[in-house]
Amino acid sequence: MDILLASCAEAFRLLFSGDPEIWEIIAISFRVSSLAILCAVPPALVIAFSLAYGNFFGRRLLILLFNTFLSVPAVVIGLTLFIVLSRQGPLGDFKLLFTQTAMGLGQFLLCLPILVCMVHVALQAADRAAWETARTLGASRVRAFFTVLFEIRFGLMAALLAGYGRIISEVGASMMLGGNIAHYTRNIPTAIALETSKGAFAEGIALGIVLLFLALMVNALLQYVQGKGSINP
Amino acid sequence: MIETLNIGFRNIAKRYGSNLVLDGASIDISSHNCIVITGKNGAGKTTLLRIIAGLEKPDSGDILIDDADAEPWRKQRKRLLKSVMYLHQQPYMLSGSLRRNIEYAARLNPGIADRAASVTRAIHWAGLEGLETQSATSLSGGQKQRVALTRARLRDPQILLLDEPTANLDNESRARTLQMLREFCASGTAIVIVTHDPEVFDELATHKLQLLDHRIHTETGSSPDVIELESARHSRQR
Repeated sequence: MDILLASCAEAFRLLFSGDPEIWEIIAISFRVSSLAILCAVPPALVIAFSLAYGNFFGRRLLILLFNTFLSVPAVVIGLTLFIVLSRQGPLGDFKLLFTQTAMGLGQFLLCLPILVCMVHVALQAADRAAWETARTLGASRVRAFFTVLFEIRFGLMAALLAGYGRIISEVGASMMLGGNIAHYTRNIPTAIALETSKGAFAEGIALGIVLLFLALMVNALLQYVQGKGSINP
Repeated sequence: MIETLNIGFRNIAKRYGSNLVLDGASIDISSHNCIVITGKNGAGKTTLLRIIAGLEKPDSGDILIDDADAEPWRKQRKRLLKSVMYLHQQPYMLSGSLRRNIEYAARLNPGIADRAASVTRAIHWAGLEGLETQSATSLSGGQKQRVALTRARLRDPQILLLDEPTANLDNESRARTLQMLREFCASGTAIVIVTHDPEVFDELATHKLQLLDHRIHTETGSSPDVIELESARHSRQR
């Protein structure tokens, strides 16, 4: 118990003293994961809409595939991308392995199925009449698309939070694709794994606190937004 | 005044899996018409309206607009979406206030110059004053129907399709809805209503049709491939 309390106290000291190494790791994590999810959102929305409202050959198969990808372990994504990006791999010439780009690519692939499936479910749960009402009122497809997005905004936010939570805390793919290089590809989860293996629990706890704080903030934000959208303000 | 439009649907067929819904259904709709269509549950009334609105793709069928040659539904879909407005049996209310719902329709009509004033006038027209800030989803069925008709007024379609517009409405709401529909008729908008209570629309109807055996029949029971629209008692010539 003493070691836990001492580690927590040291963790807070590291965080609030502005330890540059800790804050650099935090910055790398947020930068890579934020970019990954930003890149994943547009294709995920288009795919989810196509799956929900489209009627094309292979639609059911695609839904099955995306649902399957939900449960693919991060290390499998990491391994697959490692092979693709390694020197002998088809994209080896781009020399992306052990870069932040490779980490971002892995995180993109991890959160894409989450976003697609959750937005697809939100669209299925939403009244199809929203789309039809927009269209019959004269909205273009794009306008109707954004109208429906607004109607499912809470489901959309839940998808974003779930996706972000998944990628910012995943360790397998980031470790394999980034290599946990100090000051470059070391992010929060890979740093926690490293510090724990070295017995430096305080650093690990400090980074864990940041992840917990992030979870608290995004959930508080979600609750606030949901409150704003309540039926009778 | 609405621009005159004559539109004919020919040999519309639609099947859901093994369930044949429409087979060779034809109908003509012209400005100033108020067509009331009846039929049993599952006869395909709603499907027909959705096809006319451009929301549902038929398996086959052609469309004639004004004096142009017949073209497949697919080629005229854009035109249908532009000219026709479909009101669901349970009108969908966008999240947010009643005013937001009406403003949404006004924003989509580029012909409206002073949007705020038009929205306020439309709210007044529908007798929805005082409810502007209320959440649209919490309105009563009759109020939602009025919001939907107000959006239609701002949308200003050439053809207005209504799916059971007076179902589950009390007498007052029904009278109000009829009054609003009367004003659409007066402006020249063609109206197509599917209903189980055709007598409610006796005063408005210029044509009464029946959907039976996957086709549209005149009220007299004949089954022509192309309907010769039969003027009803209250047919109005404008």
